[in-house]
Amino acid sequence: MFIASPFRLRKSGIVGMNQRNVVLIAQNNPRRLYPLADNKLKTKELLEKAGIATPSLLGSIHSQAHIRELESFLSHHNAFVMKPAKGSGGKGILVIKKRTGKQFIKSSGSIITSTDIKRHASNTLSGLFSLGGNNDVVMLEEMVNFSDHFDGYSYQGIPDIRIIVYKGFPILAMTRLSTKVSDGKANLHQGAVGVGIDITSGDSLRAIQYGRPVLNHPDTGKDLTGFSVPEWNRFTELASRCYEITGLGYLGVDIVLDAEKGPQILELNARPGLAIQIASGVGLQSRIDRIEKVLETNAGPQFETALERCAFTASEF
Amino acid sequence: MKNNIQLALIVLLLASAGFGAAIYKNQMLGFSFIPEKKDTVWTIETKITFKADGGPVSVSLNLPSNSKELCAVSVSNISPGYESRIKNGRFTWKKDNAKGLQEIFYSTKVFRKNRSDSTTLAGPFKTVEPLFEGALKAAATNITKTTAPGLTTATESAVALLKKLTHNNGGEAALLMANAKDRGGAVYLARDLLLFSGIQAQVVKGLFIDSDRHNKKLDGYIVIMDRDNQVLLNPRTSTPEKLDIFLIWQQGDESLLEVTGGSGSEISFSTLAEIVPSRKSIIANAKREKAMLVDFSIYSLPVSAQNTFKLLLLIPIGAFIIVVLRNLVGITTTGTFMPVLIALVFLHTKLLPGVTLFVIVVSLGLVVRSYLSHLNLLLVPRISAVLVFVIIIYVAISVISIKTGFKQGLQVTFFPMIIISWTIERMSIIWEEEGPRDVFIQSGGTLFAATIICMAMENKYIGHLTYSFPELLLVVLAVIILIGSYSGFRLTELRRFEPMIRK
Repeated sequence: MFIASPFRLRKSGIVGMNQRNVVLIAQNNPRRLYPLADNKLKTKELLEKAGIATPSLLGSIHSQAHIRELESFLSHHNAFVMKPAKGSGGKGILVIKKRTGKQFIKSSGSIITSTDIKRHASNTLSGLFSLGGNNDVVMLEEMVNFSDHFDGYSYQGIPDIRIIVYKGFPILAMTRLSTKVSDGKANLHQGAVGVGIDITSGDSLRAIQYGRPVLNHPDTGKDLTGFSVPEWNRFTELASRCYEITGLGYLGVDIVLDAEKGPQILELNARPGLAIQIASGVGLQSRIDRIEKVLETNAGPQFETALERCAFTASEF
Repeated sequence: MKNNIQLALIVLLLASAGFGAAIYKNQMLGFSFIPEKKDTVWTIETKITFKADGGPVSVSLNLPSNSKELCAVSVSNISPGYESRIKNGRFTWKKDNAKGLQEIFYSTKVFRKNRSDSTTLAGPFKTVEPLFEGALKAAATNITKTTAPGLTTATESAVALLKKLTHNNGGEAALLMANAKDRGGAVYLARDLLLFSGIQAQVVKGLFIDSDRHNKKLDGYIVIMDRDNQVLLNPRTSTPEKLDIFLIWQQGDESLLEVTGGSGSEISFSTLAEIVPSRKSIIANAKREKAMLVDFSIYSLPVSAQNTFKLLLLIPIGAFIIVVLRNLVGITTTGTFMPVLIALVFLHTKLLPGVTLFVIVVSLGLVVRSYLSHLNLLLVPRISAVLVFVIIIYVAISVISIKTGFKQGLQVTFFPMIIISWTIERMSIIWEEEGPRDVFIQSGGTLFAATIICMAMENKYIGHLTYSFPELLLVVLAVIILIGSYSGFRLTELRRFEPMIRK
C-alpha cells in the first residue's frame, strides 16, 4: 500500500498541513508575534534580555552610511558571523573564523579583504539575501565554536537540534544531517537524513532517509543509532524558556552545541514544519493531546517555569 | 466552538441563498439548468459616438440587410433625449439641441432563418461599366486577361484576380493599387476590376457573427455572382468566406452612418452569441414583468459588458479549483493564482499550443536567468533584466514560428510578460535553493492546475451555469469558506505520512 488511510493517520496522532495551519499556528501563534521569530535581530534582543544562551550580538548595521564604521569596528574582533536579520534558507551568512592582518579567513578557508566584507554588508542591507528583496539589517554575532561531539554525523556543516515546543512543553526533537545527495542541504525531501531524538533522553530514536530507516550515514558511514545529545536537559530547558519570552504556542527552536558554552539558541521558527513527525516516527497530535489534557485538569501554577514543564515532559513521554 | 457555529451559519446562509435563487429562477422564471442547443441568437450592439456642435442633431444609421440565412430585427436603442424612428431601411435619431459627447446604443437581434427561405441580397447589383482610362485601362485589361485561362467558374477567376492584385508583384497590380485611393480603397478597386472582367460584383460591409467580438469596426468584403449563387470573398486574403454567418450591414453605395450637427463620429459593433434562445425570451419576459432577480442582474448591462462578465464569472471557478487542488489534494504551484492566469491564456491559445509555448518560454527564461544569477544583481534590476529577455524570447518565438509556418507561435504574446518574468525568477530561486526536482514538481503542478482550470472554463455546462445562474457563486463561496476551515489530511499527505504507520 502506498496510500495510508486518513483514519489510521488520525489515530496515530499525525498532524497534516491543514491542521498545522488552521489549528496549531492560527490558534497558538498570533500574527503580531511572528516578527519575534522571523526577525533574527528581535529574537536576539529578546534572548539576551532574558539571559538565554545564544551567540552574543556584536553589533548591527542599519544603514549604508554605517558601513564606513565597519572596518574600525571589526578591528576588535577576530572571529565573527555576519548575517541578514530576515534572511531565508541560510543565504547571505558569512563566517569569518580568524584574521591575519588585513586579511579575513572564511570558514571554508578562502581569504577575503575588508572591501569584500563591506560589499557583502551593503548587499545584505539592500535585500539581496532577504525574502521578497526588502531592505534588511546586517547582524554581526560571535562565532559559535562548534563542539566536536557531532563530528562525522553530517556530510557538510554541523547539525543543529530542532525542538518543537507546544505551549512551553518540549514535545518532539530531531536533527537533520546533510548528505551528498542532498547537496549539503538539510532538507529531508532532498535526501538529507532525519534523526528523531527522544525528548526525554536526547538519544537517537531512529534515522530515516527518503522515508526509509537507515542505520549508518550514507556518506560518512557513521553509526546513527549511537547519536546522542549530551546535557540534554539543558537543551530542553533552553527551548522551553523561549515560550515565555515570545508567547508563541507552537514554536520550533534550533539549538547548536558550543564546545565551551554548551547549547546555544541559533534561531526560532513560528511555523515549524511537519517533517519532524516522520523523523521521529511520532505524531504531534498524540503529544499535544496529552499536554492539553493535563493543562485542562490541573491548569495551575505547577507549570510556571521551564524546569517544571521539562520535568513533566521527561516523565510523561 | 463559537467560531465553528458562526462559520456553519455563514456557510448555510450563503448556500441556501445561492441555491434558493437558482431554484426560484428555474421553477418560477423557467431558466434551464442544462444548456439547450436548439438555435443560436446573436445580439449585436452598435455604439455610435460623436461630438455634437450645440444645435439640432440628426443621426441616421443604415440597417443590416436580411440575407438568405440571417434575419436581423431591431430590439432597442438607448439614446437619452433623442426621438427615433425607422424609415427606408435606416434608423434615425433626432434631437433639437445637443452639445458635447453623445453616445447612442442600438441593439439588433439576429436569427438564423430556415434554409428553404430564399431571400437574396436586397437591392440589385451595380451594372455600370467601371471607368479605366489610358495606362490604367491597359493594366486592367492585362491583369484580367492573364488570369482567365483554365479557370472555369466565376469564383475561381475572381480569387485568381484578387490574388494577383494583393500579391502586388506585377507592374500593373502596383499601378492599379496606386489608383485605389481615388476609388475609395482597395476593396472598391477590386470590385471595379471584377466588374471589368465581366463578373458581377458588389462591395458589402458587415460582421462575422460566429464568435463573440468586442468593439469591432466593419470590414469591407466583395459579393460576386457565380451563376445563380452569391459568393462572399475576402479581398485581403483572396479566399471565399462563409456567407451564412456574415451579416451584411451596408452594401453598394449606401452610407453607413450620417451625422449632421456633429463631428468626429465613430461607430463600433459588439456581438454576443447565445446558445439558449429560450433563455433570451425568458429574460425578455421576466424583464417585462419586472422580476427583481432578472431586472437587477447582469442581463440589464450592455452586451459588451455582459461579454466581459461571461469570462469574469468563470474566474471564481478557477479560484475554487485552486483551493481544492492545494488544500484537499496538496499540489504545489508557483504563485497561488498563477494557474488561473495561465488558464485564461490557454483559453485564447488552445490547450496544447499553450502548454508548449509556456514550457518553451519558461525554460528559455531559466537558462538566461541562470547566467544573471552569477552577476549578483539586486532584486528589481534582476527581474527587469529577466523581463527584457522575456520580450526578446517572445519576438524570437514569433519570428521563428512565422518563418517555419507554425502560426500558433504568434500566440505567445497572450502570456502576460510581467507574470512570466516573476515565474522565471521564482523558479530559478527554487532551483538554487531546493534543486531542480522541486522546480519540476512545482511547474508541473502549475501546468496541471492550469490545464484543469482551462478545461473547466471551456466546459459548456459550467459556462452555462455561471452565466445563467450567477447566484450559484454564493454556493461556490460557501464551499471555499468550508474548505478554508478544513483541518483534515490532504491527499498527498496520505502518501507522505504512509511510512509512519508501516509495519
